[in-house]
Amino acid sequence: MSGTPERELVRFDRVTLTFPGGFGRGPVDVIRQLDLSVQDGEFVAIIGPSGCGKSTLLSLLAGYLIPSSGQVLFRGKAIWGPGQERMMVFQQPALFPWLTTADNIAFGLRLKANRTKGRNIKETVSAMLQLVQLDGFARYYPSDLSGGMRQRLEIARALAVDPQVLLMDEPLAALDALTRRTMQREVLRIWATTRKTILFVTHDIDEAVIMADRIVVMAQRPTFVLEIEEVPLPRPRLREDPEVGKLVQRLSTLLE
Amino acid sequence: MLPRSAVRLIGPLTVLVTWELAARFNLVNTLLLPPPSKAIADLMVLISSGYLWKALYASLFRVVCGFALAVAVGVTLGVAMARIRLINDFLDPLVELLRPISPLALFPLAILWFGIGDGSKIFVIALAASFPVILNTFAGARSIDTNLVRASRSLGASEFEMFKGIVLPASLPYIFTGVRLAWGISLIVIIAAEMVGATVGMGYMVLEAQQTFRTERVFAGIFVIGIIGFATDLGFRRLRQWLLPWYRETES
Repeated sequence: MSGTPERELVRFDRVTLTFPGGFGRGPVDVIRQLDLSVQDGEFVAIIGPSGCGKSTLLSLLAGYLIPSSGQVLFRGKAIWGPGQERMMVFQQPALFPWLTTADNIAFGLRLKANRTKGRNIKETVSAMLQLVQLDGFARYYPSDLSGGMRQRLEIARALAVDPQVLLMDEPLAALDALTRRTMQREVLRIWATTRKTILFVTHDIDEAVIMADRIVVMAQRPTFVLEIEEVPLPRPRLREDPEVGKLVQRLSTLLE
Repeated sequence: MLPRSAVRLIGPLTVLVTWELAARFNLVNTLLLPPPSKAIADLMVLISSGYLWKALYASLFRVVCGFALAVAVGVTLGVAMARIRLINDFLDPLVELLRPISPLALFPLAILWFGIGDGSKIFVIALAASFPVILNTFAGARSIDTNLVRASRSLGASEFEMFKGIVLPASLPYIFTGVRLAWGISLIVIIAAEMVGATVGMGYMVLEAQQTFRTERVFAGIFVIGIIGFATDLGFRRLRQWLLPWYRETES
């Protein structure tokens, strides 16, 4: 997928992030001179050595962190804070435990910032429940749900405010192997239905190859984009497919 | 199989029956340890004469006033200390200095300041009971998961919406624990305070009975105090299940 500027949704422009020092340590660069462009509607996986700053990349895009130099642009405008057009899906679901499934989804819609959008709360909630296949669980609390269901709910809550990009920070890492495979198919289905752009951080190379249009390989800290790998294979992709295996092999050697 | 609630009655009942039998067969000095049946008979007298209600009303009025003050002040200070650093730096040393002082040590002063009536009791209760509320509220408001705050910011929450929608509900289980502890402390403090200086109330009633050597009345008073503590704590637990149905506490 070559970058045509009018379809560009996100651009990291020579982004450097420095954490201040302290207690006898000097300041450290977490991200150094990183460039990356993401197209509208794309599914991009981000892999790299653990602790290299993959999650930090998403935090910058979410607006939780501001770059020390360079810019993170969303539709050509610099990001200055969190916003509904860029929703994060956390690894450990950050659901509101005192709200039921339906109220978790409705939380964003009830905020003053979203009332003007004119989305019918009841209709949106039931549409979201259906999308993530949680209909029938509207009145359950998060503590009553399984790990996979919580992750679905987290996705539903994020989608309810109609974001343009989903930032998924190892969203499936805490799930057991079987649930994880189901959820990989689910995320792809939701992506195909909603056509949202997805940035998907994972430490599982298989997962990245099975799911993404493009795979961004990050370098050791201070991180930058080491390589970008296109995945031209048709979906659904199977782990047993030799083409998939070849790509996984290639990426593994890159990361060693 | 007996239901669990029935099983849990066995312990107290065993004690009561053993005690009754020991007193009836004169295995103990009944002047010092009268049988519970005698205490209950005296309790009936206290009820029918209206004396119990007078004492109970006086005590509970003081407890409720002091407790309400403690909760209001405690929650406000706890949230303020957790959210605003300057307030925390100002109040935290004061709280830590005052906390270890027995509330009864301040009672003589309270009598000088507020008199022998309700004021002095309400003051010591409010003071003693506010500490668990402050500390638990503080802990609750501080323990909020960063990701919850981040998620609500992304969803578009304003400062006020975040306080109302995230900070407050997330702290509620902690606040509730603090409130429950405060209530227990209020009940303990009132009895002691009324024994030191009062003209009416449950503590005064028990002390007066002791001084006139009416041991059965001492026990009657103690029963009532115990039952009130037990029943209100049960009430608090029910209230929590109703107010915080999402909150899972590991029940023993």
